[in-house]
Amino acid sequence: MDDYAVGVLTNIGLFGFLAISAYLLLLAGEMSFGQQAFFGVGAYSGGMLTAMGGWPLPLAVVAAMLLGALAALMVALPTLRLRGLYFAMATLAAAEMARIGFELLHWQVELEGEQTGPDGTQGFRGIRWVLENGIEPGAYLAIIWLVLAMVVGVVIALERTRLGATLRGVGEDPELAAALGVDVTRFKLGVAAAAGALAALGGVLYAHHNTYVEPRNFDIMLGVHSLAYALIGGLGTVFGPLLGVLVDIGLLEGSRVFQGYRMIVFGGLVALLLVFRPRGLLDERTVIWLRRRLSSLTPWR
Amino acid sequence: MPALLEVADLVTAYGKIEALKGVTLEVAEGGITCLLGPNGAGKTTLMYSIAGILKPRRGSIRLRGEELGGCAPHEAVSRGIALVPENRLVFPSMSVIDNLEAGAYRRQGGRAGRGEIDADLQRMFGRFPRLKERSAQLAGTLSGGEQQMLAVARALMSRPKLLLMDEPSLGLAPLVVEEIFRIVSELHRDGTTVFLVEQNAHMALKVAQHFYLMEQGRVSFSGDPGSLAEDEVIRRAYLGSAK
Amino acid sequence: MLADLVQNTLDGLAAGSAYALLAVGFTLIFGVLRRVNLCYGPAIMLGCYAATFVHLSFGAGLLVLALVCVLASVLAGGYVERLCFAPHRKGSGIAAMVASFALWMQLEEVAILALPKHLYPFPALYDGKPIDLAGFTIRVEALVMLGAASVVCAALWWVLYRTRFGIAARAVIDSPLAAELSGISVPRVSMGVFALASAIGGLAGFLVSASFEQVTPMLGMWSTFKGLLAMMLGGLGSLPGAVAGALVLGLVEAHSQWFLGPQLRDLLAFLMLFMLLAIGPRWMTTR
Repeated sequence: MDDYAVGVLTNIGLFGFLAISAYLLLLAGEMSFGQQAFFGVGAYSGGMLTAMGGWPLPLAVVAAMLLGALAALMVALPTLRLRGLYFAMATLAAAEMARIGFELLHWQVELEGEQTGPDGTQGFRGIRWVLENGIEPGAYLAIIWLVLAMVVGVVIALERTRLGATLRGVGEDPELAAALGVDVTRFKLGVAAAAGALAALGGVLYAHHNTYVEPRNFDIMLGVHSLAYALIGGLGTVFGPLLGVLVDIGLLEGSRVFQGYRMIVFGGLVALLLVFRPRGLLDERTVIWLRRRLSSLTPWR
Repeated sequence: MPALLEVADLVTAYGKIEALKGVTLEVAEGGITCLLGPNGAGKTTLMYSIAGILKPRRGSIRLRGEELGGCAPHEAVSRGIALVPENRLVFPSMSVIDNLEAGAYRRQGGRAGRGEIDADLQRMFGRFPRLKERSAQLAGTLSGGEQQMLAVARALMSRPKLLLMDEPSLGLAPLVVEEIFRIVSELHRDGTTVFLVEQNAHMALKVAQHFYLMEQGRVSFSGDPGSLAEDEVIRRAYLGSAK
Repeated sequence: MLADLVQNTLDGLAAGSAYALLAVGFTLIFGVLRRVNLCYGPAIMLGCYAATFVHLSFGAGLLVLALVCVLASVLAGGYVERLCFAPHRKGSGIAAMVASFALWMQLEEVAILALPKHLYPFPALYDGKPIDLAGFTIRVEALVMLGAASVVCAALWWVLYRTRFGIAARAVIDSPLAAELSGISVPRVSMGVFALASAIGGLAGFLVSASFEQVTPMLGMWSTFKGLLAMMLGGLGSLPGAVAGALVLGLVEAHSQWFLGPQLRDLLAFLMLFMLLAIGPRWMTTR
């Protein structure tokens, strides 16, 4: 597989984490413009731990996820009781504050004669743990997709349990859920924390793929994209957001034809699609239809 | 008397649920026709269908012979139908006089038209003196009864051929209710055709020339106020007929 | 010290005037559609880019450029309204907002493709020297901004309270259902208000571009953020609030920039919004 294809597939995987993060919150009925902040938290904290603190990547990943969850809670606690639009604006404000925070972050240590660490708007170079440990791009791609597959597996498994039903119930009709005994706010906080951890997971893996991150990577556009991925791909299944990422990065990046016009095509497609499919390609009705077709094909279902 | 409004086999549904299952009735020109029935019978759905807010699935609505079915609400106003909705629906942050002006939106006619609208405004203030007192006040600060009168006046500003009223006495004190029905009688005397939905069967039967009973999406009875014993009417209006 | 304070206040009010026009545009759209139009800034940016194009190709004067900017913004706004808001009138607010992001991405790319450089010069609003008054330097651009914003707000008030269209617009903002029942076509009036908001935004964009004598691709995002921030600070849906919020934003920014630098200035603005939402008044809370 050539380098370009590996790169494209890696990006699809990495942004898949972000898309699923936005998707989980959408299922719970909340629209967040700020998941990119937790992606950034994961990237910066994971990068700092491996590049400056000498931590091994797996440990850094765990720490980054915890920090992502914590950051998400810090944003969600004061704001979850806000109505949809106001909550969305609050996440936008929080995300921009995080981005500016990254711009103000100057913390470097001297390692092997070089200054290593985040340097404000100049970014954070030298996140080389993957390279230094001899992991080839192809192997890293496999690792990323393996982790993504595990996440998808967990989400699918959870969707079939009471937890999954509660999630969608809370999103569709919070009053009914509350009447049935669900502590809606506590539940949403849990979802927010999980979504934050997931975004951070994507972020730390992203930082180690690029070896360099800068605050501009985590701007509102990234947040907008992750929301769009979830909404285009469809809210009926966790494969929806992944489909959204595939459509944007895969089709448009992969086919050179659209190079300069990628946003024009993607943007137009999204707007048109939403006219006919407000819940995305793989929306709830389509997923139910697909399940029926699939179960009629496989006798052992 | 000739029919101003003819509804034939009207079916209106919300998704899969048919709220109107084939309603047929007539509103005579110049008279007061009343629609009674228990909650959930579909009375408001019928009003909304005639006013254009809901699009019927089947059937026809004819005003003086012209088919209306499925037109947009503002179109219905142009054709001469005005609805005084349940819960009044005034414009809370606009003044009383602006509420009335909004009601006259559909009327055109430049200078001459403006003169007529002003004349109508004065007429409304004459008929509803309490509105005149509060003409600059925000509609949201008016009492329930005053809001009801404002809603009626606003509907009248469009000079409708047919005035639809959906439960005008709902939530109002008895004295205010009497005033509302006094106004309905006045409107009748001035020649306006009124189609009135009411829970208060007693008062409604005192003013109407003809009434219909609606139950579960269909018309179950049609007659004039003497034709059914009043307590029977009231029983069926509140409770529906036991079937 | 006092001189700095006064200077900053004037600059803050000037910036606040631009923000006020943007916030008013956002608020008008929110009022009739109950949705936030995230493509408002980019449509304005297209307007400014169109004006830049005309300036570069024909060297036209300021008045012509202002007209081009406003017209192009209205056209771009119309495109957004038809594609993002008209189809979702009865349905999901989320779909409308995401569609407006999608068009945001699209319009930004259109602008960058048309004029690829990072910066374009824009003719100045005023070519001469700033006025020297009792030891304070007053930039004429600031006065023009304040003046223009005041005129636009007054004109808007006149339209809303003294014209037939204004009554219809206020009616739709107050209660779309009651408006329909009064014979007002909500879709038609919404389109008209959207066009009005786009025109006001276009004017704001023109003033800002001419005041800074440059146009950059960041204008879209910048306008969206400033307008949104100001609108939310002043209380979503209130026109006087939008103006007040905008002036407060301008003042806070000007003073914090002076004492703390540009990054902390922006941080403070977002922090203000976040705190306001976090402790927010009851009408913002669920459900």
